[in-house]
Amino acid sequence: MAEVRLTGVSKSFGKTVAIRDVDLAVADGEFVVLLGPTGAGKTTTLRTVAGLERPETGTVHIGGKDVTRSAPAERDVAFVFQQYSLYPHLTVFENMAFPLRSPARRVPEDRITERVGQVAEMLRIDHKLANKATRLSGGEMQRVAIGRALVRDPSIFLMDEPLSSLDAKLRAGLRVELKRIQYELGATILYVTHDQIEAMTLATRVGVLNQGRLVQIGTPKQIYEDPDDIYVAGRLGSPRINLVPAGVIAVPAPPGTATVGLRTEHVEIGRDGTPATIDRIEHLGDQSRAHMTVAGTPFTVLVDAHTDLAPGDSVGLSPRAPLFFDAAGTRIRA
Amino acid sequence: MAGPSVADRIADRAAAATPMTVVRTVRGLTDRAIAWIFVAPTIFLLLAINIFPLIWTINLSFTNYRANRLTRPAEYIGLRNYERLLTDPDIWHNMQVTAHFVLWTLFFQVVIGFALAWLINRQFKGHGFWTTIIVLPMMLSPAVVGNFWTFLYQPQIGLFNYVISFFTGVDPSSFDMIGSVALAPWSIVIVDTWMWTPFVMLICLAGLRSIPESIYEAAEIDRASPWRQFWTITVPMVLPFLMLAVLFRGIENFKMFDLVVELTSGGPGSVTELASINLKREAFEKWRTGYASAYAIILFVTVFGLANIYVKALNKVKER
Repeated sequence: MAEVRLTGVSKSFGKTVAIRDVDLAVADGEFVVLLGPTGAGKTTTLRTVAGLERPETGTVHIGGKDVTRSAPAERDVAFVFQQYSLYPHLTVFENMAFPLRSPARRVPEDRITERVGQVAEMLRIDHKLANKATRLSGGEMQRVAIGRALVRDPSIFLMDEPLSSLDAKLRAGLRVELKRIQYELGATILYVTHDQIEAMTLATRVGVLNQGRLVQIGTPKQIYEDPDDIYVAGRLGSPRINLVPAGVIAVPAPPGTATVGLRTEHVEIGRDGTPATIDRIEHLGDQSRAHMTVAGTPFTVLVDAHTDLAPGDSVGLSPRAPLFFDAAGTRIRA
Repeated sequence: MAGPSVADRIADRAAAATPMTVVRTVRGLTDRAIAWIFVAPTIFLLLAINIFPLIWTINLSFTNYRANRLTRPAEYIGLRNYERLLTDPDIWHNMQVTAHFVLWTLFFQVVIGFALAWLINRQFKGHGFWTTIIVLPMMLSPAVVGNFWTFLYQPQIGLFNYVISFFTGVDPSSFDMIGSVALAPWSIVIVDTWMWTPFVMLICLAGLRSIPESIYEAAEIDRASPWRQFWTITVPMVLPFLMLAVLFRGIENFKMFDLVVELTSGGPGSVTELASINLKREAFEKWRTGYASAYAIILFVTVFGLANIYVKALNKVKER
C-alpha cells in the first residue's frame, strides 16, 4: 500500500472537459470516495490513476514515484470495473488467479491456490471456484471482480461503482463486507460512486466532484455538516436539504445571503415561527416526513415516526443550524 | 389530413372488390388455418425441390438406371453400386484431391482471414476503405473468378507468374500453374483462398468487435503482456466465430465445383478432379445415373456426418 497523489490533473475528450485541475491525495490506508453525478469526471479521475487515461496536464504520483507516463501494468494498481469485466471463458478460480499468473510476478502455483482460496473465503465465493465466471449471479460476479483485485497486494485499489449494478439488499451486504475487508487489510482504496449512502458509510474522506472539478474533500461529517457551497450541501442528505430564498424563513442571516439551507432534521415544528401548512405526511416506519409549501417553495421536515400531524394542519417552523449561501452559491460562514 | 389516407382507400376498394363467397370463406378460418395457408407454399416447394429429390436419389442409388436410356427399365441391384464405389481406387483418389483442397484452403483462409481481421480491427485511418477493397473478391461470380485467373496463371502473359518471377527471380514462362501436375492442386487452393479469405475475415472481425474493451483494460492492469492478452482473451473469445467460418467454408469447399471447372476442369489428368466434378462426369457424361446417385449419397452422408461432429465440438467451445 502506498500514498497516491494527483496534482493539477486535467483531461478532455475532444471538446468535452472531463476533469480540470484536480488535486487529490489519498494517504496510505485511507478509503477515499469520489462522489458526483454522471459526467462529473469521477471515472476519468480513477482511470487516470490507473493509467488507462493519460492526463493532458498535471502529474500522478504513486508511492512517491512519478507514474504520469507509465503504462497501467507498471503502476501496481488493482481496478474493479463497473461492468465486472471478468474473463468469460475462464472459471472463477482462473479469473482470480489471472493477475498472479502474470509472468512478471512469478508466483508459484501452490501460493496462487492458497491466496485465491483465502480471498474466495473472505468474499464467500469459495464454493463457486470451479464455476464458469459467466454462470454466476450479478452479486457473485462482482465478488469475483473484487476478488481478482484482492488477490494482489497493490499500491492502491481503484473501484469504479462496483456495487451500482446490484440490487439494494446485495449492495448493502457487500458494502459492509467491503468496509470490513478494508479494515482487515488496511488497504488504500479510491472508490467512485454516485450513491451518497455508500460515500457516507465507506469513506474516511469524501471528495465531491462537479463538472470536472473537485469541489470539496473532507470527512463525511465535514462534508455533511460544513459544506463549502450549495452544490455540496445538496449532494448529501436524504431527503434533500431545503434550499429557500433568504427572508422566507425567519432566521438572522449575515449580509449577502441569497439562499438559506436547512437540513430536514434541523427544523422544529411547533406553534411559533414561520407559518406553514402541511401538504402531506410520508410514514417510513422509523421516521416520518412532513411535506409543506413555504412561500411557494417545497419544504420537507423530518418528524417523529408516530406524529399525529395531518395534511391541512397549520404549523410554525423554527430552524436551527442554518447554512447561508451567497448569490454564486458559495457558503457564507457566520 | 382530412379524409382516409391513400392506403386506406386502396384497402377499402380491395375489400369492396372481393367476392362475397371469398369473404365468407376467409371469415370462417381460424388463426391456425390462416397460418398454414401462409406456410403451405414454402412447405410444398421444400418437399418438391429438396425432400423428394433426396428420397428419389436414395431410391435410384440401388438401381442400374441410366438417364440417357429412358426406355430400358431400371433393375434393383441392391448395394452393388455402393460396393463398387467404396472399392474403387479412382474414387479414393478424388476424395484425396478433395481433402487436400478443403484442408489447405481452410488453413490459409483461417490464418490470413484472422490476421486481416486483427489488422482491420486496429481501426487505423481508412480501415473502412480497405475493408471494402478486401471484401471485393467475395462478391464476384465464381465462374468469372475461375475464368480470369486462367489469364493470371498464363506462363507467358500472366500477372501471377510475373509477380512470382519478380520476387524469386524464376523465369515466368518456366512454370505453368494450371498445366503442371505438381502445381495445379495448389493453383485451385490459391484462387479459392484469394476469393474466400474475406468471408473468414468478416466473421472474425465480428468476433473481435464483440470483445468488450474493458476486458483488455482489466488484463492490462493485471499485467498481462499483449502476447498473453492475445492468447488468453482474443483467441478464446473469437474461437466460436472462427469455428463457424470454418464450418461454412468447409461445407462449401467440399462441394466445390464451378470455380475449379472454370479454372482447370479437373486436369491435368485428374489431379484437380474434386469429388463433385467426378460425380458430375459419372452422372452426365457417362450417364451412370444409379451409380452416380449412390456416389452423391455417400458424399452427402460424409458432409452431413462431419458437419454434425463439428457442430458438437463447436457447441462445446461455446459452452466453455
